[in-house]
Amino acid sequence: MSYSAHDYQAEDAIMRAINIRNLARIDWLLPIFVISLAVIGWVTMYSASAHATDVYYQKQILFFIAGSVVAAGIICVDYRSIVALAPLMYIVAILLLLAVLKFGVEINGSQRWLNLGLFRIQPSELTKMVMVYFLAWYLHTLGTRIRKLRWFVLAFILTGVPMLLILKEPDLGTAACLGPLVIVMLFVSGCRLWHIGLVVLVGLSIVPFAWYQIKDMDPSPSPRIQEEQKAAFNETKKPWDLQWHQKMRIYTFVHPDFAPRVSNWQAYQSFITVGSGGLSGKGFQQGTQTKLNYLPEHRTDFIFSHYAEERGFIGCVVVIGLFLAFLLRGLMYARDCPDMMGTLLAAGVVTVLGFHIFFNISITIGLMPITGMPLPFLSYGGTFYMTTMACVGILLNVPMRRRMFLEEGMFGG
Amino acid sequence: MITINTEPKRYEGVENRVQMMALALALLFTIPCLRLWHLQMVKQRDYQHTADAQRISDTTLESDRGVIYGRNDVILADNRASVNIVFTPGECPEVRREEVGIRLARLLGLEAHSVLEKVKNSKRNPFMQIVIKSDVSKTELYRIEENGLDLPGVAPIVRPQRRYLYRETGGQLLGYLGEISRKQLNDSHWLDQGYHQGDVIGLGGLEAQYEQQLQGQDGFLLLTRYASGRPQLRTDRAGMPVEAKRDSAGNVTSIEGEGREPRAGDPLHLTLDIGLQAKCESLLMGQVGAIVVLNADTGAVLAMASVPSYDPSVFVSHDPTGERKRLLEAKKPKPMLNRAYREQYPPGSVFKVMLAAAALEEGVIDTATSHYCGGGFKINGRGRTWHCWRRGGHGRVAVKDALTYSCDVFFYNVGLALGVDKIQEWAHRMGMGVLSGIDLPREITGLIPGQEWKKALFKDKPVWDQNWRLGDTVNLSIGQGSAATTPLQNAIMMACIVNGGYRITPYMNRDGSHKRSEKLISDTTIAVISDAMRRCVEKAPPDYPSGTGWRAGVPGIAILGKTGSAQVMSLSHHEKYETEEDIPYKMRDHAWFVAGVVEQEQNIAICILVEHGHHGSTAASVLAKPLIEYFYRDQLRSDVQVAQAGKGTL
Repeated sequence: MSYSAHDYQAEDAIMRAINIRNLARIDWLLPIFVISLAVIGWVTMYSASAHATDVYYQKQILFFIAGSVVAAGIICVDYRSIVALAPLMYIVAILLLLAVLKFGVEINGSQRWLNLGLFRIQPSELTKMVMVYFLAWYLHTLGTRIRKLRWFVLAFILTGVPMLLILKEPDLGTAACLGPLVIVMLFVSGCRLWHIGLVVLVGLSIVPFAWYQIKDMDPSPSPRIQEEQKAAFNETKKPWDLQWHQKMRIYTFVHPDFAPRVSNWQAYQSFITVGSGGLSGKGFQQGTQTKLNYLPEHRTDFIFSHYAEERGFIGCVVVIGLFLAFLLRGLMYARDCPDMMGTLLAAGVVTVLGFHIFFNISITIGLMPITGMPLPFLSYGGTFYMTTMACVGILLNVPMRRRMFLEEGMFGG
Repeated sequence: MITINTEPKRYEGVENRVQMMALALALLFTIPCLRLWHLQMVKQRDYQHTADAQRISDTTLESDRGVIYGRNDVILADNRASVNIVFTPGECPEVRREEVGIRLARLLGLEAHSVLEKVKNSKRNPFMQIVIKSDVSKTELYRIEENGLDLPGVAPIVRPQRRYLYRETGGQLLGYLGEISRKQLNDSHWLDQGYHQGDVIGLGGLEAQYEQQLQGQDGFLLLTRYASGRPQLRTDRAGMPVEAKRDSAGNVTSIEGEGREPRAGDPLHLTLDIGLQAKCESLLMGQVGAIVVLNADTGAVLAMASVPSYDPSVFVSHDPTGERKRLLEAKKPKPMLNRAYREQYPPGSVFKVMLAAAALEEGVIDTATSHYCGGGFKINGRGRTWHCWRRGGHGRVAVKDALTYSCDVFFYNVGLALGVDKIQEWAHRMGMGVLSGIDLPREITGLIPGQEWKKALFKDKPVWDQNWRLGDTVNLSIGQGSAATTPLQNAIMMACIVNGGYRITPYMNRDGSHKRSEKLISDTTIAVISDAMRRCVEKAPPDYPSGTGWRAGVPGIAILGKTGSAQVMSLSHHEKYETEEDIPYKMRDHAWFVAGVVEQEQNIAICILVEHGHHGSTAASVLAKPLIEYFYRDQLRSDVQVAQAGKGTL
């Protein structure tokens, strides 16, 4: 019952790999979730626009359409073909990340963008997708050998390289995303559980590290004195120390009542914004916190706060439920896919999106320290919308192939 | 070439692992839900409150203070519109702020650096208005308006400002305004009435006395502000911001919820005759003293002058000349002190009027009782000699002559016969040495000494020092010793004689409640005293000595009068100096004159005090004549003049 590429001519393979008719085989439940979330995103974005002249929501619709094209493109191509290119993509990604560190454009104190003349790209955003493919390729190629420790460790080393490069930019949110990604994909690939346990233990060491970072901190509520403290810190900064603003984020996370108007404005206003929403929210376009600009970043990373303010607890539960349904549907694909590669891809994509959703919402409601982390479908931003839709494309690709396999009679009933 | 390297087989248990992952995901996603429950359901109220508090700010709408009217509804104090020039940094592009500041300083004649300093120091909220110059002149206003295009963020703001139309005239009575002090704000009396920091309240005179009546109720406006501090503007249908409205304090407004309209203070109608007041003050000009004119029948205060006085306008707006500081820190004579009811002097011979009435009423003397005055007096013919002011003596005098010529010796005898307790009792009854009850703040009591008082004063001394002595009674009999009264009290005492024996309570508020005592003095006594006092003022026929108050006489008007010269130093001390002019100012006698006008439609009681004026007859009584002439003869004519003079000060 084995299936191998030798049974087919190469031309046939290409015909099967890239076939527009594949679109007809889409599972329609997932797109319904996607469209629901996208519509919620548009409406929220419309409401978050201060003036009638703002074009955020129109642009968001354009991003969705562009993203859909990307997704359709991905769907048309057999994921196995893309995965085959993963090692190449990995190398390109590493090169791009190096290029960013060398030639990147610095915005807001971090060097994340590469200027390509016509447009700018964010290699760290690309890396997320590449790592999903690459890990799927790696783990699939290894098969059961992953139960050996050295292959297990190699997976971490391979992930660690781009992760460190991204950390260097710095882009903490994206780097952090790769951690759970590799762990989950290893878990799904059938590695030994105690290996995973070990890694999780090591991962938990971040808590004492964070504690170490802030244990000697005594920031002043006065902005002027804090500025001096920051300068003094930068002079004596050790290589393993975090940046001052990162330390402050952890500090204010641990001390939520510390000088909210000076150091903790974002989190403080987010609490107020979410909390004042109540059960059913203030209503469409009635969110005072965002309308009056009390909550910064309310169209991007903190769009969920805005949503929570206007739609209340009920709306929040609905949108979280939709996200969960979306992700669980993705996991169903992973479960039901007869092909290990598809399983890994779907699990990886679900992890990347799930990570963003969970962390973004947790940050807006003060469960996590503040890190730049967009919310799929809701946050404003073209690049991330593309990533999200690409993920959707990959997810949809998985069950489609399963039906194709069945039609091809590969599994012999 | 693309190689499709697919191994469809999966290891056993992969489905379980994916399902475990799904379960973990579902569990993970309940955490934010629980947290949201806590934030949105449990603590919703708190966060809603915080959100509202930071979003809505209430802006005070200042109320107008009540207008103060004098007699005949002459406006004494009202509110005018004053213009402040304010700068709102948030409405001016950051790069232009310095340029605008310098231009503004040039147009307003201010130091450029002080303006820039002000702008710099208000970094907190860029939409807070900074008052660059308050109460600008019309010229300055026009200058600003002409250059309006070059001054983004600069606006003239209109505020109500207190205006005292007669300036210094009656200034002490009207009092002045000032910002409420920190100490007052800690007092529940003020807090309970809703005063807060920055409120302007009456700090002296009638402004303070009728603070509650005059103070209106400030309104407020609820404004929604952006996080930057910029008030939310209303937009028209096209979404364009509508021209911002400004409230009376000049803040840009966009209204949220219900506000409250400001309510102006209630008007205050005074009995004060501003023309008479002006006359009194002009009579005292150049001297230190006080004049009180009461309606003898009702107690209405017609005039209450105290010189030197001050112009309450000085306290209204900024104080570029340092006038306010000078007024508040002035040494004697203090312009802030109303001598008419806040300063006490020995009443001197004025006291004899009261004493004569008391003695007659008590039956200690009658009109025939006479004593011999040889210029001196000894108690029981022994010991210390008390002199009469007239060293040659008055000869044998009865009560009428004794009053007319102010014989000290006669009253020494009467005082001893009456006794200190009775003197004190009658003095208090007629309003001397007790609070008059006038509706002005911080009135002082004055003092009529008695046995109790002396005991208390010398309680640390031996018993023989505590005892009241007959000598003390002798001193008290002519209003010397420790006796001290205010000009107002003397006027009340005089009113008693004029109105036929009733103690009146003086008042300034026309609409207040007025009290008058039972009849204290019988008509016969009044007749005797009136007769004596009338002769005091009348010019006597040739070869006859005139009364001490003859200089006050106005032909055709029945005037009662009594002079007084209250000693600051003993008589013997005075004798050291050759002429009166040699006596140092501080040691000269206070000059008193109390007078009453009777048999008129409106009878008045007058008390004139000239500090260190030497003699009642020469310094005080001379002022009574023009005053009475003015009140009864020139009033109509001068009313017009005063009205014109008032307009001139606008």
